[in-house]
Amino acid sequence: MKLYLTLILLLPLLGSIVNVLFGRKLPRRVVEVLACGMVWGAFASTLLLFLEYRAPARVELLSWLAAFDLQAPVSLYLDPLSLVMVLMITFVCGLIHIYSVAYMAGDEGYVRFFFLLNLFVFAMLLLVLAENLPLLYLGWEGVGFCSYALIGFWYRDERNATAGRKAFIVTRIGDVAFAIAVVWMFRMFGSLSITEINGMGVLMPAGAVTIIGLLLLAGAMGKSAQVPLMVWLPDAMAGPTPVSALIHAATMVTAGVYLLMRMFPLVGTSETVLTAIALTGGITAFYGATCALAQSDLKRVLAYSTISQIGYMMLGVGAGAVTAATFHLLVHAFFKALLFLGAGCVIAVMHHEQDICRMGGLRSRMPLTFWTFLAGAACLAGVPLTGGFFSKDAIMLAVLEKGTPLFYGLFLVGLLTALLTAVYTFRMVYLVFGGSGSVSPPLTGGGEGEGVPSRFITPTPTLPRQGGGRLRVMEAILIPLAMFGLCGGVLNLPDYLGQGWLTGWFAALPGPAAYGGRTPHGVDIIVQGVATCVVIAGFLFVHARYGGARREKAIEAAGAPSVVTLFFRAGWRFDDLYRLLFIRPYGLLARFFWERVDEGGIDDSFDRLAKLLGRAGQGLGSWTTGRVSVYLLSMAAGLAMIMGYLAWMVW
Amino acid sequence: MIVPLVHVLVLAAVLFILGLVCVLVWRRNLIMILIGIEIMLNAAMLVFVGGAARWGTADGQVFALMIVAMTSAEVSLALALVVYLHRRKKTVNADEFSEMKG
Amino acid sequence: MEQTIFYILAAVTVIATQFAITERHAVHAIVYLVTSFFSLAVIFYLLGAPLVAVFEVIIYAGAIMVLFLFVIMMLDLGHPEKAARPGGRDWWPAILLGAVTLCSIVVLVAAHPPVVPVGASFGIRDFAFVLFRKYGIAVEIISLQLLFALVGALYLGKRR
Repeated sequence: MKLYLTLILLLPLLGSIVNVLFGRKLPRRVVEVLACGMVWGAFASTLLLFLEYRAPARVELLSWLAAFDLQAPVSLYLDPLSLVMVLMITFVCGLIHIYSVAYMAGDEGYVRFFFLLNLFVFAMLLLVLAENLPLLYLGWEGVGFCSYALIGFWYRDERNATAGRKAFIVTRIGDVAFAIAVVWMFRMFGSLSITEINGMGVLMPAGAVTIIGLLLLAGAMGKSAQVPLMVWLPDAMAGPTPVSALIHAATMVTAGVYLLMRMFPLVGTSETVLTAIALTGGITAFYGATCALAQSDLKRVLAYSTISQIGYMMLGVGAGAVTAATFHLLVHAFFKALLFLGAGCVIAVMHHEQDICRMGGLRSRMPLTFWTFLAGAACLAGVPLTGGFFSKDAIMLAVLEKGTPLFYGLFLVGLLTALLTAVYTFRMVYLVFGGSGSVSPPLTGGGEGEGVPSRFITPTPTLPRQGGGRLRVMEAILIPLAMFGLCGGVLNLPDYLGQGWLTGWFAALPGPAAYGGRTPHGVDIIVQGVATCVVIAGFLFVHARYGGARREKAIEAAGAPSVVTLFFRAGWRFDDLYRLLFIRPYGLLARFFWERVDEGGIDDSFDRLAKLLGRAGQGLGSWTTGRVSVYLLSMAAGLAMIMGYLAWMVW
Repeated sequence: MIVPLVHVLVLAAVLFILGLVCVLVWRRNLIMILIGIEIMLNAAMLVFVGGAARWGTADGQVFALMIVAMTSAEVSLALALVVYLHRRKKTVNADEFSEMKG
Repeated sequence: MEQTIFYILAAVTVIATQFAITERHAVHAIVYLVTSFFSLAVIFYLLGAPLVAVFEVIIYAGAIMVLFLFVIMMLDLGHPEKAARPGGRDWWPAILLGAVTLCSIVVLVAAHPPVVPVGASFGIRDFAFVLFRKYGIAVEIISLQLLFALVGALYLGKRR
């Protein structure tokens, strides 16, 4: 077991190090094969580990930090939660590595790209497997850094670099809260080991645990792009599409949810924290859905959709249903990665045109992409019998089960959000793939249209209009993801179909009962029925608006967006709000300190001091008049002073 | 000794200060400066002689004599300088000769 | 009785010096100064230094002051009555500094406990013994110095 764990961590790390050190000297194919091979090797190790797994185990690899009380070795914790996460991460990352080999085929910075991707995988695995908080934080920061570097991958365009910085800074705010929580926990519990801390949660004063839980929630908010720290994710779409798929759909943004789930025995003891988590999740889910409705950039729709879906996961955690949240996390990873990769194919074919109002007719031109994308969209919308349906339903059930008025309200919000999700998902599908293809892509490269405010220029490698080997590879990757998305439901079938495998497997997790099936089966079926109706309603609405001939009219109408649409498109104007509340005052404060304090105060005082000394020197220098009378007086004065002093002493 | 040493010293001090005042008041007139210096030297001589009388040795008187000799040498040179300067600028105003300024 | 003479002579010295320093006319000042030196010489005699007293009169009052007079008259400094009398601006720093220094010196001097002086008077023979035996080298050096002064004065006074 130790060997497998070591391999899981070591292979990606080795891959990144070798790539960064020797990448330029090796042929391109070797670099790519190495990078992909390492991740698939980690996946193979994970499979072997999974087959061998019996019970939660704590494996210590090396010693890292050791000083008096502070003991933080490199120790890994293997339990059902981390094992499924590692499986998902290695699998999805492996697929995306292969995809990005094709996607980045024309780019010159491939060494840096694969180095960062492998490093990211390493950091994410470290985060998931970590047994103590500093190690988790190391992984946390590692993924943050890789995300920053990958978002700003095409850094020569300043907007991309700014987006990377924005991501880093906003997540940093969450990281600070997380760090405070870590230190506080060390002070309170005397140990940094997660298993120990989770065990001691009930012993500590409730108030402190609540605050620690809220701090951890703040950290999760930053990393998982929840309200109010979600402003970085839409802008993070400036990175290459595989990066968006990997980091901002499947893995990094789930790290926040994972943290809360990992620390659930501790934070779950406080009702306040759970309520806060649920509220955050509910509000964010609604926010993401409304914004996705109004976006015109394909990747931004998916970004807001991610925000919304992670809101669902948080809602699940807040309702106490860790199993349901994990289920949704796994399925979401598959179908969101699928959607992003499909979007990558579309964008590549459209010569980096990203405005969905200018796409169309791709159903006939890219059939494979269309069908897989549709599968992913079905999962996202929660079409019955897809993986997404079961997972979302499990969360809604758990929320309903809580029984308090607040959670009833959140249930309604969740339903409304599901409706909106269905609407924006099918809108996306209809606009991208529907129609007759009258808006043909430009023959030459150069995609951002006039009048369409495309925020980012992503120099997507230009592909031939149809096919070509690279597109084939990219589309091929979509297939396994679609399979997993559609069939993911089997992971945790609802109770009336037999106890879900995931629920059973998670039963071993310590802490407040990870929610298992307690509901009467009737309620379960009713909720599923309601969800189905919601999805159908959404589909019908979209078909009425965008189907067939009405599509052109709808697109024309989109050319003159209403105020409400603009409000949603700008993400509820949160960027402007933050600029007004924080950035402008900070800028003013910085300017004040720069001009008035640093230059005006400090520099100026030094200047004045220097001038004063100069003038003093000159003043003293003017004493040498060359006239004897002045010198005589000076001598007599000196004599008087000395004699006076001596007389004073004697007196 | 006919008077206590302190009285002699006080007299010498008064004379010395008078000489100093002369120098400071007439600080622009070269000749009066020199006269002030003479007065101060005399006061010094009085101190030495008083000291010789107090301790009963002749050393103080010997030094008073040496002051006389030294003063004569100094005065002759000083006055030669005054003559020289007067020849240059036709004045004995000490402030006129300020080329050493700065 | 010698005490009274000492105090009278002291008063004369001080007053004469005072007139000397407030006199505009340089020649008058020098004459007052000569008076002061005379009384000082008698004080020296009273203090048991007749040789120094005589030398004071002969050399100091007799040669040096006369030299002063020579130079003043030679220089032809114009009408001293029309010269500007040093006004208040010249006097006050002098008075201030003089007063401070005087008070300091008096304090320092008076701080010592009074002692019983020995008192002695030296005749020519004893004085000569001390001068030429104990301070013989000093005599030589002083004569050298007089030589320097002579040469220097000659050089400086030469007309080009």
